[in-house]
Amino acid sequence: MTEPEATPPTAGTATDESPVLRTEGLERRFGGLLAVSGVDLALPPGRTLGVIGPNGAGKSTLVNLISGHLKPTAGTVHVGGKDLTGARPWRVAHAGVARTFQIVKPFRGLTVADNVAVAAMFGPSPVRTPAHARREAAQVLERVGLGGRGDVPPAELSVADARRLELAKALALRPRVLLLDEVLAGLRPAEIDPALRLIDELRRDGLAVLIIEHIIQAIAAISDEVLVLHHGTVLTQGPPRQVLSDERVVEAYLGHRYTRKNRS
Amino acid sequence: METSTAAAGTGQGEKAPVPRGRRPAWLPWAVGAVAVLACLGLQSQLYSGQERTVTTVFMFVTLAVGWNLIGGFTGYACFGQVGFFGLGAYTTVVLMVHGDLSFWVAWPISAVVAAVFAAAIGLPLLRLKGHYFAVATLGVAEGLRELVTNVPRWTGGGAGITIPSTGAKAPTLWLGNDGFYLLFLGLGAVSALVAALISRGRTGYALRAINQDEDAAAALGINTTWAKTVAFGMSAALTGAAGSAYAFQQVTIYPERLFDVNITVLMVVMVVIGGSGTVSGPILGALGIAVVSEYLRQHFAQWHSFTLGVLIIVAVILLPQGLVNFVRDAVRMRDFSLLSNVRRYRL
Amino acid sequence: MSQFLQATVYGLLQGGLLALIAVGFSLVWGVMNVINLAHGAFVLVGAYLTFELNQRFGLDPFAAIVPVGIALFAAGYLVQRGLINMVVKAPIFITLLLTFGLELVLVNGLVLLYSGDYRSVTTGYAGDGFTLLTGVRVPLGRLLAAAVALAITLVLVAVMRHTRTGLAILATGMDRGAARLMGIRARHVYALTFGIATAMAGTAGAAVSAVGTFSPADAGRFTLFSFVAAVLGGLGNMYGALIGGIVLGLVEAWGGQLLPGTLVNAVAFGVLVVVLAVRPQGIAGRAFYASRVEV
Repeated sequence: MTEPEATPPTAGTATDESPVLRTEGLERRFGGLLAVSGVDLALPPGRTLGVIGPNGAGKSTLVNLISGHLKPTAGTVHVGGKDLTGARPWRVAHAGVARTFQIVKPFRGLTVADNVAVAAMFGPSPVRTPAHARREAAQVLERVGLGGRGDVPPAELSVADARRLELAKALALRPRVLLLDEVLAGLRPAEIDPALRLIDELRRDGLAVLIIEHIIQAIAAISDEVLVLHHGTVLTQGPPRQVLSDERVVEAYLGHRYTRKNRS
Repeated sequence: METSTAAAGTGQGEKAPVPRGRRPAWLPWAVGAVAVLACLGLQSQLYSGQERTVTTVFMFVTLAVGWNLIGGFTGYACFGQVGFFGLGAYTTVVLMVHGDLSFWVAWPISAVVAAVFAAAIGLPLLRLKGHYFAVATLGVAEGLRELVTNVPRWTGGGAGITIPSTGAKAPTLWLGNDGFYLLFLGLGAVSALVAALISRGRTGYALRAINQDEDAAAALGINTTWAKTVAFGMSAALTGAAGSAYAFQQVTIYPERLFDVNITVLMVVMVVIGGSGTVSGPILGALGIAVVSEYLRQHFAQWHSFTLGVLIIVAVILLPQGLVNFVRDAVRMRDFSLLSNVRRYRL
Repeated sequence: MSQFLQATVYGLLQGGLLALIAVGFSLVWGVMNVINLAHGAFVLVGAYLTFELNQRFGLDPFAAIVPVGIALFAAGYLVQRGLINMVVKAPIFITLLLTFGLELVLVNGLVLLYSGDYRSVTTGYAGDGFTLLTGVRVPLGRLLAAAVALAITLVLVAVMRHTRTGLAILATGMDRGAARLMGIRARHVYALTFGIATAMAGTAGAAVSAVGTFSPADAGRFTLFSFVAAVLGGLGNMYGALIGGIVLGLVEAWGGQLLPGTLVNAVAFGVLVVVLAVRPQGIAGRAFYASRVEV
């Protein structure tokens, strides 16, 4: 696994590189409930931001707000300097933002290869013909470790492979920003390390990665910065070590001790 | 019956054993071309009554293929499809009777009117899911029928309206049984071609992706609103063109018959039984249902609708995913048992 | 003015009857996510059964409500258990088709048995009535029909909210998987639900037979009314369907006074479509999570 020391953690949002993804005061209300409130984040290319928080903290809502699957009730989302606040999901995708879903969403009627080919056909730099798209898909499948499984229907994939397919669809968009919503959930310990390595590789290729996870240790290992959501607001934000030793985080994050025990 | 020869011809072509691997890419096109040529050759062998029956079968092929674009590929169960049929028909009638336009001008205009209307109602209604979309479109079709019934000045109202189709005053002379046979054959063939091209192209992938998971489709950059609206518009254009031609063929039309909800249901039955979301399924479904329905009408006049109901129930329970999908899956999984098929959707 | 009042009274009475039909339809829709296109046909089965009981045994149509209700409950239970449960997990147009097939069988079965002619069940009192102060006439048969319909509907809603079986039905409607985990037999619950709905349709049919003429061809109209009432009231919301039915009755009666021809129907469908597009949870209903795509 890549050592966190290998990439110098960035303190705060002040970096010399301009962020490719930036949100300001992002807020979403469901009736009387504030699911997400006042979230500011700035993510430059080649950096990984880990978002953690207990269940119901608003992590998935945050991803949905950025990807356009939910419209914010306040605040802004900018991608590459372009205002995408409340834009439809395909506009966000065309701006270079790819995402995975916490509950995997394969197109069940299409083969694995065609699932990925769809992304190649409709992404920011779309490929015009299905045949060409399928060739692209084969390359992406190879990269995520699904090479040779292209002709299978998604229903026959294991949990881990279904997560890989989810990632492959996102990568086939050739994104600048990658939003990963619990891609490690349901994976066996032996499957987690290769997945982390792949994500870190993508970051080094210049992608800005926002990863939501329950497994704190895993996230800490590959993140340059960690953001803790609690009741929809940012509890704290900073380099992994600093955040993880923060007492408020330990207190708020009930799953913390449990996770540590399991990981040892 | 002669129609069954055509059906069997297409059916065998579809399932012809291809030695190993994928079937060659040219095969479906060749089968389609042969089927159209066979239908052309068939014409001279038919009595005029039979010719009219086969003409109706071609019309239902068009309707089923049209419904399949929105209902099958895209997964939006439109239960008001007959609204586009009636709209196409009445556009043609109004243009020919009040505008004195030739049928050949009115026909394409009617298809365009149906498509534009579909796109206009699609923008708000295609945001509705499942039953809500079904009910809303049903409401649109029923509303259209009431509207047409209540503007007798233009449409003749419930008493019907007649297109002048003989003599010097006719904008276009009636085409005769032979003419309508060719007209509907051409329309059916064009519909199948459109469906095949959409299915193979990017749009087909977009529609199937939307059908299976709309959120995921949008996340991959598919402009879902646009894709759904295009599918709905194309579907309405084919249906409207069929309605237009039907109106001219019937000469006198009534709102009760042109907006009959049973026509929508027949389209759905044909698509579901043949295999929704496929190119050949709706064609086979339309042929099959039309042949069975015609046979029942001739041999069991009284029991015709009753038996059709029983057949629909049996078919839906035994082959819920339709004939073409069943055969495709069965070949892939090497499991031809109907029993495991029935278990699929059972509680 | 008195014309308007007369229309209002008539609309309310008719609305009560429509409500009884719509509530059962809405129940099946809400619990099983099945649109039962045969619902109107069950109303007519109830009407013809009442007709038969009246012809053979001279049974009063309102007394026939009990045997007709029981018979249709049994029929509905079996239809759900034997047929609809076979495809209940399939995409929606499969279940729509199945119930359409059922409608064809029932309606054409009735045509084969009784022909397509209009029938009615005559009683000595249904035509009687009394006159309110401003000259508004209230026919007794319709008043009775509306009262019975309202009573049955209210009893059903109470049963759903306050009994074990009722709660099991509602729970299954919200989440079949979770309900099964809690020991609820979904198959049985679905069959019960469908049985209750057809029983309501059947009793409504008994009432229909007492207040006017009927023929198998009316089935589609009753289904359509249930559709509209259920949508206006909000999916699976039984009070909503009740209100929707009454609103529909009133709109019909008033529209018949104000608008020429059958234009009132066009307006009703227009309202339906607009309500769906703008407020898919219905005018009275709560939001339903899966009703709309948020993209």
